[in-house]
Amino acid sequence: MPDTKNSQSDARRAGERLESAHVREDPFAAAFKATRMPMIVTDPNQDDNPIIFCNAAFERLTGYSNDELIGKNCRLLQGPDTNRGTVGRIREAISAGKDISVDILNYKKDGTTFWNALFVSPVRDDDGDIIYFFASQLDFTNIKSKEAELAAARHQAEAEVAERSGDLQESLAARTLLVHEVDHRVKNNLATMASIVKMQVRLTEDEGQRHALLSVLNRIEAISTVQRKLFTTNDVARFDIGDFARELVTDLVEAIKRDDIRLTMDVSPVMVPAVKATPLSLIVNELVGDAVRRGLADGGGEIHVVVRRLNGHFLIRVEDTSEPVEPDPVSAELGRRMLEASASQVGATIEKSRDGRRTIVDVTLLVENKDTPH
Amino acid sequence: MIVEDEMLLAMELESEVEAAGHVVVGMASSSVQIPDILRDCAPQFAFVDIHLQDGPTGIDVGRMLAEKGIPYIFVSGNIKKLPPDFAGALGAIEKPYTMNGMANALSYIDAVVRREEGRLPPASLVLAEDVAYRTRAAAE
Repeated sequence: MPDTKNSQSDARRAGERLESAHVREDPFAAAFKATRMPMIVTDPNQDDNPIIFCNAAFERLTGYSNDELIGKNCRLLQGPDTNRGTVGRIREAISAGKDISVDILNYKKDGTTFWNALFVSPVRDDDGDIIYFFASQLDFTNIKSKEAELAAARHQAEAEVAERSGDLQESLAARTLLVHEVDHRVKNNLATMASIVKMQVRLTEDEGQRHALLSVLNRIEAISTVQRKLFTTNDVARFDIGDFARELVTDLVEAIKRDDIRLTMDVSPVMVPAVKATPLSLIVNELVGDAVRRGLADGGGEIHVVVRRLNGHFLIRVEDTSEPVEPDPVSAELGRRMLEASASQVGATIEKSRDGRRTIVDVTLLVENKDTPH
Repeated sequence: MIVEDEMLLAMELESEVEAAGHVVVGMASSSVQIPDILRDCAPQFAFVDIHLQDGPTGIDVGRMLAEKGIPYIFVSGNIKKLPPDFAGALGAIEKPYTMNGMANALSYIDAVVRREEGRLPPASLVLAEDVAYRTRAAAE
């Protein structure tokens, strides 16, 4: 370590030499001294690259006097919280003779810290040898603390969002699991109810009783089919009544095994709110069931089922052409009541017309009222 | 053979299968009973629920049957749980099925077991993808 006093006077002399190279009127020197930007010049050819010149702005920034600064290495601005990595990068740039721009936490004389946007650049002579280093500083503590506040606020917000999303995902997963579990139980219970009725049908010998039980079973099965179809689409809140009608009719055609009853369809997909699925499906079931009951007479006949949208309305039409036979009065009355109750539940109107052998039943419903409360 | 853990449903299905003119040779409510049943009798066809007394083991039962070359269908409340290859099943009937739906599926299955070709499957039976492909090809 060289004698401090001597090295300081070496540094001072170097500074004076630099200054004397510029006449008093040199606008660049004047600007360097007067600018509000803190600046220094160091001499890498002296031991430990000391400060040989600093302007008044640098003294104001650091709180050190000119005397305290000349001859010192810039590391006197470093302190315990100064990032070692940043210091290392400055050192590397200086030994490589390159420019460097870094943000570094520095310490004033009184020990307070400031964020310094430091720029260091080598100054070369005509031969290209480095004769000085020039450094400018910019105190951006205010910006840095705002930035830090913003970053902290952002991190906090992100953490809260992550926490909320986690909670939401958890409750969504729990809800999905619950819906599947409940759906499974409802299906099992409906299947069990149907099994009980079927078992009793098998045990019953009385034709009237069998008939009554099968009539109950038919409605349980209609509701079962609704439940089965409710979760088959991705949209659990909507239900395709057209799809229901198609399955009901095709299954029926195959199962009744009557060549003299011809069933035809004009069915397009009609999505309805899930809450209306059961009454609407029961309407389709009653209309088709009623037509089949009347067509089951010896003559047979034709049954045509229509489910489609029509000018803001939704139409279910069952048209049958057969020798009208009076069906069993209890069945007819039950069918009529079920149809009326289901239609009034969803606000549908029923229109029945008869023309000779042909019976047409239209059930129409406004599709626009799907979002009204139930 | 019927593999179903809900006893009422199993008994009803048994009645329906028998009403259609077949004989049920084995009933099981969990997957562990399957090897014994297969040793004692040779079912020509099987109905398999996915969820059994020992958990969702119906798919394992299905693979066991497929290995032995026994055709079968799944009868389940949630056929979305099935793997894409249907574990070698012919297809699946979703519960709760209707009497018409099951009767139509039974007559279709009967035709398949007898190797009668060209019939279209009923709405109640969802065919496995490869089976559906072959069926469409045969019908054309």
